[in-house]
Amino acid sequence: MFSLSLKEIRFFKLRYSLIGFIMFFVAALVFIISGLANGLSSDNASSIQNMNAHAFYLDKDADNRLDRSRFDEKVLSDIKDNKNLQAVGLQMLSLKEVDSDKKVDVSMMGIDPNSFLMPKVTEGSTIKSSKGPTIVADDSLKKQGIEIGDKLYEENSDITYTVVGFTEKQTFSHTPVAFVNKESWENLFPSKQKVSYNTIVIKDANKDLQEDVSSTIKDGVWAEKGDVIKGIPGYDAEQKSLFMMLAFLIVIAVFVLTAFFYIMTIQKVNQFGVLKAIGAKNGFLIGSTIIQVIILSIVSIGAAIGFAAILQAIMPKGIPFVFDFGVILIYSGVLFIVSIFGALLSSASIVKADPLQAMGRAE
Amino acid sequence: MTKIPLELKNIRKVFQDGEQEVEILHDLNFQAIKGELIAILGPSGSGKSTLLSIAGALLSPDGGEMIVNGENIANYNDKQKADVRLHSIGYIFQASNLVPYLKVKDQLKLVADLAGSWNKETQQRADELLKSVGLAHRANHYVQHLSGGEKQRVAIARSLMNNPDIILADEPTASLDSERSSEIVALIAKEVKEKNKAAVMVTHDESILSYCDKIYEMKNGQLTLRTTLKTTLKTTLRTT
Repeated sequence: MFSLSLKEIRFFKLRYSLIGFIMFFVAALVFIISGLANGLSSDNASSIQNMNAHAFYLDKDADNRLDRSRFDEKVLSDIKDNKNLQAVGLQMLSLKEVDSDKKVDVSMMGIDPNSFLMPKVTEGSTIKSSKGPTIVADDSLKKQGIEIGDKLYEENSDITYTVVGFTEKQTFSHTPVAFVNKESWENLFPSKQKVSYNTIVIKDANKDLQEDVSSTIKDGVWAEKGDVIKGIPGYDAEQKSLFMMLAFLIVIAVFVLTAFFYIMTIQKVNQFGVLKAIGAKNGFLIGSTIIQVIILSIVSIGAAIGFAAILQAIMPKGIPFVFDFGVILIYSGVLFIVSIFGALLSSASIVKADPLQAMGRAE
Repeated sequence: MTKIPLELKNIRKVFQDGEQEVEILHDLNFQAIKGELIAILGPSGSGKSTLLSIAGALLSPDGGEMIVNGENIANYNDKQKADVRLHSIGYIFQASNLVPYLKVKDQLKLVADLAGSWNKETQQRADELLKSVGLAHRANHYVQHLSGGEKQRVAIARSLMNNPDIILADEPTASLDSERSSEIVALIAKEVKEKNKAAVMVTHDESILSYCDKIYEMKNGQLTLRTTLKTTLKTTLRTT
């Protein structure tokens, strides 16, 4: 059965490679879009995704949006010292590079650099209060020409920060996150204004502690990490539109592949009739058709996976493309099942093929 | 093993033609004996092909018994009939109906594969069969490179591959010129004699009848044995 399928593919090279190419391109496109969805998602939310946090305590009216939530610093004083709880301040700012007058957008995040929230510094040193206001920023800031030792000026508060280190995979709403300590954070606020933080983060699930926070600080709700990520402006819209494209692509794949396999089976109906006349059974004929589809799918989808991996390597850094092998395997599986399904639909015409056709029929 | 691998008893076949029922085979009786090549003649529409389809387990009769190797297969289901076709019957079609994407040798291998018996022994048989139909040198060619006569030779070899007791040929010479026709029929006759098979050939080509042991004519849904001086003479001449 297997060798028969292979021989047919080898003999009708053009026919089968056409279908193979369609499958390859559909699969490659699915992988590219899923890679983009992945890349955009991490470009948008990696600081939250990679944050060592279980849940976020947010304002009741904030709609799970970090930027809308506010807690006064005074209210927070009760819980300040807990190792499992940390207040986080977050604000989008434009900073001016002192030497070149160039402006860069960052999401400034005020945290305790000695707490579980501080990401690993990959280059330079960590935040030290002794050296004045310092920043550890996401390394995507380097692409905008910022280096260690550069001074960044914030107009409203009239503070100049020094970049002392870089970390990686820390972005929020497509901007690099700049980590500052609480002192720097609190200095951002003019003296007449109350100092506030956006959220309280809990590291590990702890029901008692969470309830405790809820009763101490009124008008707040605990939000899961995933909900907070969805609350990042634009995140959900971005992911949903890409996901819709993926869903449509797979539906298109179902129809295109089914149509192709159907036409090919119809074309071979006489052949099936002859084979039945000399004693081949339905199971054998359907089996050899399915084997062909399996061979085709494995080759085409495999090639598409390779293509996506190469693309990841050669893609310019500016395009957020992240090749997630797990996700790609899932989509490969879906495409594989889709093509088998398409082939199974045409097996009805194999069953219907009449061995009597072989009698008295001119070739 | 019985000497009569194929026997039709009181076969009846009716076709629906609009409102009317047309009885195409009427109480038909027929026997095929090992080592004999039987020709069935008759005008178009007389039911020759229907008869062959029933004899070949492709069609079920509406009445009567269809006995292959002592078993009545008239009421077998599709799968059982496929098995009968695979193991007990070899076909030679009007158009050779070979598989286009297989080499000559693989055409024979396919039939053995279907029966699940591709091994050294059948491999050897395939080689011998190709030799005996004179195509050993073409074993590794694709069908599209063969002439009509050569294709029909492959079909003959294929029909014998699973060592069936019955060979059925449906106008095997229809697409060949007269010289090629007699070659092919001579070959069928030779194989039938050598391998002791029961063979039935439907044809309307009178020129090849000299190779046949018995000639039946299809008329009014029944078969009648034709005995003309000419054929009797030829048969006698050939056997002596």
